[in-house]
Amino acid sequence: MSLETFWKSPNELKFPVLSQEAKEKEFVDGVTEEFNPDELKGLSRRKFLALTAATLAVSTAACTDYHDKGEIIPYNKKPENIIPGIPNYYASTCTGCSNHCGILIKTREGRPIKIDGNPDDPINKGKICAIGQASILNLYDPERYKKPMKRNGNKFNEIKWQEAFNELISKVKLANNNGSEIAIIVGNIKSPSQKRLLELFTQKYATTKIYSYDLMADYPRQLAWQACYGSSEPATINFENAKIILALESNFLGNEGNFVKNIAGFTKKRNVDNPDSFSRLYAVEGAMSLSGVNADIRIPLNPTKHLDLVLSIIAEVLKSRGITNGLVYEKVQNYSLAEFAKQNNLDIKQLKSLVKDLVQNQGSAIAIAGDKMPFELHIAVNILNGLIGANSNNSENNLLTENNSNQIPLSTKDYLLELKQKMQSGKIAVLINFDTNPAYDLSTLDFDNLMQKIPYSVTLTETETETALSSNYILPINHNYESWGDYQVSNDIITTQQPVIESLYGTYQKEDILLGLINDKLSKTAYRDFIKDTWVSQIYPQSNSGVEFEVFWKSVLHDGVYKLNTSKTPLRPIDYNAINLIKSSVSKSNYILSLKNSYSTANGRFQNNGWLLELPHPTSKITWDNYAVVSERTAQKLGVDSNKMIEINANGKKLEIPVFVQPGTVDDYFTIELGFGRRAAGTVGKEVGFDALQLTTIDQLFNGYLMSVEISSMPNKEYKLASTVEHHSLNDNFTKDLAKKRHIIQDGTLSEYVQGNYNPERSHLTDSIIPEIEYKGVKWAMAIDMNKCVGCNACVVACNVENNIPIIGKDQVARGREMHWIRIDTYYTGDQDNPEVANQPMLCQHCDKAPCENVCPVVATTHSPDGINQMVYNRCVGTRYCSNNCPYKVRRFNFYDYRDNFNNHFQKADSLALMMNPEVTVRSRGVMEKCTFCIQRVSEARASAIAQGREVRGTDVKTACQEACPASAITFGSSNEPESELYYWRNHKLGYHVLEELNVKPNVTYIAKLRNKAEVK
Amino acid sequence: MKTYDYTIEPDVIEKNPTLSEINDVVAAPMEAPPSNGWKVALGISFTMLIIGALSLGYSLYYGLGAWGNNQPVGWAFPIVNFVFWVGIGHAGTLISAILFLFRQKWRTGIARFAEAMTIFAVMTAGIFPLIHTGRPWLAGYLFPLPNQHGLWVNFNSPLLWDVFAVSTYFTVSLVFWYVGLIPDFAMLRDRTKKKINKFFYSLFSLGWRHSNRHWNHYEMLYLVLAGFATPLVLSVHTIVSFDFAVSILPGWHATIFPPYFVAGAVFSGFAMVQNVLIVLRKLFKMEHIITIDTLEKMNKVLLATGMMVGYAYGMEFFIAWYSGNPLESFVFINRAFGNYAWAYWIMVTCNVVFPQLFWVRKLRRNLVVMFIVGVFVNIGMWFERFVITVTSLSRDFLPSSWDYYKPTLFDFGILIGSFGLFFTLVILFIKFAPVVSISEVKGVLKSSQPHHH
Repeated sequence: MSLETFWKSPNELKFPVLSQEAKEKEFVDGVTEEFNPDELKGLSRRKFLALTAATLAVSTAACTDYHDKGEIIPYNKKPENIIPGIPNYYASTCTGCSNHCGILIKTREGRPIKIDGNPDDPINKGKICAIGQASILNLYDPERYKKPMKRNGNKFNEIKWQEAFNELISKVKLANNNGSEIAIIVGNIKSPSQKRLLELFTQKYATTKIYSYDLMADYPRQLAWQACYGSSEPATINFENAKIILALESNFLGNEGNFVKNIAGFTKKRNVDNPDSFSRLYAVEGAMSLSGVNADIRIPLNPTKHLDLVLSIIAEVLKSRGITNGLVYEKVQNYSLAEFAKQNNLDIKQLKSLVKDLVQNQGSAIAIAGDKMPFELHIAVNILNGLIGANSNNSENNLLTENNSNQIPLSTKDYLLELKQKMQSGKIAVLINFDTNPAYDLSTLDFDNLMQKIPYSVTLTETETETALSSNYILPINHNYESWGDYQVSNDIITTQQPVIESLYGTYQKEDILLGLINDKLSKTAYRDFIKDTWVSQIYPQSNSGVEFEVFWKSVLHDGVYKLNTSKTPLRPIDYNAINLIKSSVSKSNYILSLKNSYSTANGRFQNNGWLLELPHPTSKITWDNYAVVSERTAQKLGVDSNKMIEINANGKKLEIPVFVQPGTVDDYFTIELGFGRRAAGTVGKEVGFDALQLTTIDQLFNGYLMSVEISSMPNKEYKLASTVEHHSLNDNFTKDLAKKRHIIQDGTLSEYVQGNYNPERSHLTDSIIPEIEYKGVKWAMAIDMNKCVGCNACVVACNVENNIPIIGKDQVARGREMHWIRIDTYYTGDQDNPEVANQPMLCQHCDKAPCENVCPVVATTHSPDGINQMVYNRCVGTRYCSNNCPYKVRRFNFYDYRDNFNNHFQKADSLALMMNPEVTVRSRGVMEKCTFCIQRVSEARASAIAQGREVRGTDVKTACQEACPASAITFGSSNEPESELYYWRNHKLGYHVLEELNVKPNVTYIAKLRNKAEVK
Repeated sequence: MKTYDYTIEPDVIEKNPTLSEINDVVAAPMEAPPSNGWKVALGISFTMLIIGALSLGYSLYYGLGAWGNNQPVGWAFPIVNFVFWVGIGHAGTLISAILFLFRQKWRTGIARFAEAMTIFAVMTAGIFPLIHTGRPWLAGYLFPLPNQHGLWVNFNSPLLWDVFAVSTYFTVSLVFWYVGLIPDFAMLRDRTKKKINKFFYSLFSLGWRHSNRHWNHYEMLYLVLAGFATPLVLSVHTIVSFDFAVSILPGWHATIFPPYFVAGAVFSGFAMVQNVLIVLRKLFKMEHIITIDTLEKMNKVLLATGMMVGYAYGMEFFIAWYSGNPLESFVFINRAFGNYAWAYWIMVTCNVVFPQLFWVRKLRRNLVVMFIVGVFVNIGMWFERFVITVTSLSRDFLPSSWDYYKPTLFDFGILIGSFGLFFTLVILFIKFAPVVSISEVKGVLKSSQPHHH
């Protein structure tokens, strides 16, 4: 059959011509012409359909929520190693201070959302401090500089990177050719690569001088160490080996030295199940610090007397050993402990027992003086430590480990004064501030004004600083999490730093800029390659790893820490001649002022971090400010009270500052924390608190901030400090000791406990008219060991970051609306002059019979089958009845949309949206919220258990607070698993519940605090 | 010493007016054009209402943060105001329902007005549970509305009981009040000459023709409604007190609360009714209808309920000590001597001390004295709710969570606004409806009783 003969219908076969016509005209004549909807009468079928369609279209368009929801772009090409919804973790290093803790950064879909310690780091062992936890906010700080800035009169104009770099390099070269100095001001350099970089830079530009300082450094201790042991770096103290600790105005648990390591070590010796090795902490101090809070025996003593005390103790130690000759004896022969006790109204029995403890625990007793205490006290402490064998090298459990990790020694006082001289005389042509802020830190050198004399000054910084605003150029740099680095943190440990996110604003890391000056070319990968070179040449050859460098390097980066193959260097012997450096010059003055490190903002570097400013102070619970701490008697003598101003006059300089009356402060003694009162630090941190550095001299940076002052009170001038708690004097019998009377805090002494005479008060109420709910399978519960909690606040910040907790601002804290899901309650009991203190982390107790649940009219708070008290944000109408009925008052109400309310919508900035934990709902205004036991982590664990085809176990989940706690005081798990750690603590002899008598059946067990009191005969 | 013969019952309505005289007196305010005094009064109260509306508007727009509430003190002014206004309402129902069942004839002169005050007070009160929530736009969640999400309300929560108690109370009071108004509206309909008034009075009088059958049905319905309303007098404030008593907070968790709250409610309600009536009877020349004898009886009720309240204050302290519960004792010592002692002693002085003046006959018949005491009682009763709500919360179980509550301008603005709303409604009411129940007053006239000429 031919193709032509194909037909498609019988008609085509029969009438081929007609059907051809029909094909061309689809509609028969008359069918289309007739149809005209306009002519149709009434509502025809077609008109009806047309109208219906139009109505539908219009109403659909009108009813659609047409707000722009932004674009959601799927991964067209899935990046390697990223699975949406599954976090990745990267090892890196925190550069918040010179401790350089190893960290583990949790990233989700390529953005860092949570920081914790790197468990592989042998020093901080998976823990970091509150500042480290909060530093993620600095990464996403909306006020980071985004473009290089060039000064134009009083203003700064944005310029291009290339332009900025070209100008910089031409100025540097010009200065070098002219033989005028290029000054680089750096912080405490611990990085081998940074050291090599600075060396290379000095080689290339021979007129370069490096100046290094660290406001947080323990200069007096370093100098004393140099005098006693001949090396500039004091040895590391291993508190896990210390049975007796004598802390002299030392805040080793709070903010001095590597306090994260100290806390872990100290609390290791506070294990109630190992009473034999329970340590005893004597804290001799003028004002309450975390050492005093955690002390077994606290001896209030004005720090000006500490030197005499130590010398008297030395005398007593020598006496007990019958030594009556020698250098040390000659120096201290006129000192007598009994005499000293009498003069200062101290309990001689207590001091005798201290000496006995020090002598009897040869090799496991140690004294430590505060970072900012005078040089002479440090010498005396070194001598004492030598006498009691704290520096012995004999055992594995050495108290002191030799430490030479500094790459570039800190500049001496004379060197800094020379810098001042040179700046004044215009000898410095180029000044580079290498992520330092000398205009604030070294304001005693009048750095601000000196900088005006520098023809070309450039500041490398992330955010606004005083120095940046005084320089000609500002070059924005990468944040910690966008940078490469390596840091030597001890003699044998190097931690590495790797970026986890492309720099948010196209900035360069500060080392890249210096490298650019060396290589004549700015590059974003230069420092990465530079570090690799350092490792290839310096570290890899010694590693004997037997693998290629790339493999070696990747594994180092993966781990984040690298252990060098160095043999342990023994501690050098002590030179007792140093005691001759002590000049007994007791200055007699009415009032003494001491300046301390800040707990929350380091040296002021973190002032633009609202999370940290809002962190309640560990001893006073005051937020958003610093203040002068005084005793109640001194305040009365001056006619002032908390929230009233005084004027402090020191070194001929004046400072007005509010007063806070703190229990446990000695009379006529004032302390102020540093790091506040920044003149330029961004919207959040600018002019928060008062700058006490103004009162100091450059001498005091090196010899401790202990000074005589004059005080004039200003009782009519009020300044309201925002505190999260009410303060009551311990002389007020109505409110005194309530925490103990109500059995909120339960404590006993170690000896009572060992003898079996101490048990916490329990009230076992079992009868109920309501049938008990039986929990099968996993049932979540927590245990908190009050022996271990030192009150460092790391858990609070970890919770803030994990659970997207907003910053609410000083005014809202003052109104009592703080939003923290976990808080550390610090209770003072006993004597106003020398109180006993206990810390109690307080969070939702997830009560089995939660009183919040039955009063909610809309069932917005419910109980899960695994024992978690849940909060349904969507359902909550905000009656606040649940909060009223919560005996622990751990529920938090969003009185405003705080993200909108705080500082002109600061928290609504786009960059901060990236910081939010995507697993946790951001709560709106009018909604109640509270601790969820990290329900998102519980759910994640359950999901992975289901994927593995097993039941979820209590040990699968770590809450954010637990993960962060440097003391490992928090245990979380299932109370239905008898073999678990949680079960053990929950049923421990010392375990109790707070407000147990209410029979709400809370699920947080507190382990009663044991105080290791000395038996005084 | 002068003695009184208490065996003779004094006339409920003095001067033995004729029926038409009563009509004239009661209808006068509605028929005359608005007086200047009325306009000024309305202006003032409306201004107060606007202040409240603006304060509320601000709070709703920006959030409850505008108020002084803080972390331990979740409830403050709005709840205090709520309980206060619900309490004010109680006098009306007590007078109209309970006293009706007890055949207390002296109530007739004041019943209508007291009932109207109940309605207005409950309307005012009803605003607060709504606005005090964080997200008032979700108030629908408080009602058991079936929905596809399977969400339901929590019948264990006293707040939910409140929703039902207050709405029932409002409905029953409104119906009771309206039923009582029907014969009076009919009378006004028959009197009025204005067309518009005639239309509305006709509408509201539901075709009342004063027929015997109407009266028969009316009396029966009124009796039944009085029976309905009577338990509500006790139940509403009992349930309001449950908001506190059912919780576990020391200072709230007390079995004495229901009777204590009811007594307090009657106490403050009577004080408010007495206060407004003193002004009203003078203004509308109704001294012979709302007599000094009637006011004296109210003052006796004030004295009695004031002492019940005083007893409750004492008993709370006794139980706090007797229970041996240190938390409980602390709360009460703190109330009297702690940081809110000023509020506590205002409360005690106003509620317990001042009403003692009424032991003296001369004082309880003295208009000035009784007015001032009435004002004090209302101040005292507002502070009673403040003391209960705020002091208990501000210092509860854990000393770490304590905080002092300080109200803001917005809190005061809303409080002023609530008075503005209440008085605006009252002032409008006296212009458009009879403030005295004409038919009932006629029924207790001497001339209406079987008598010899």
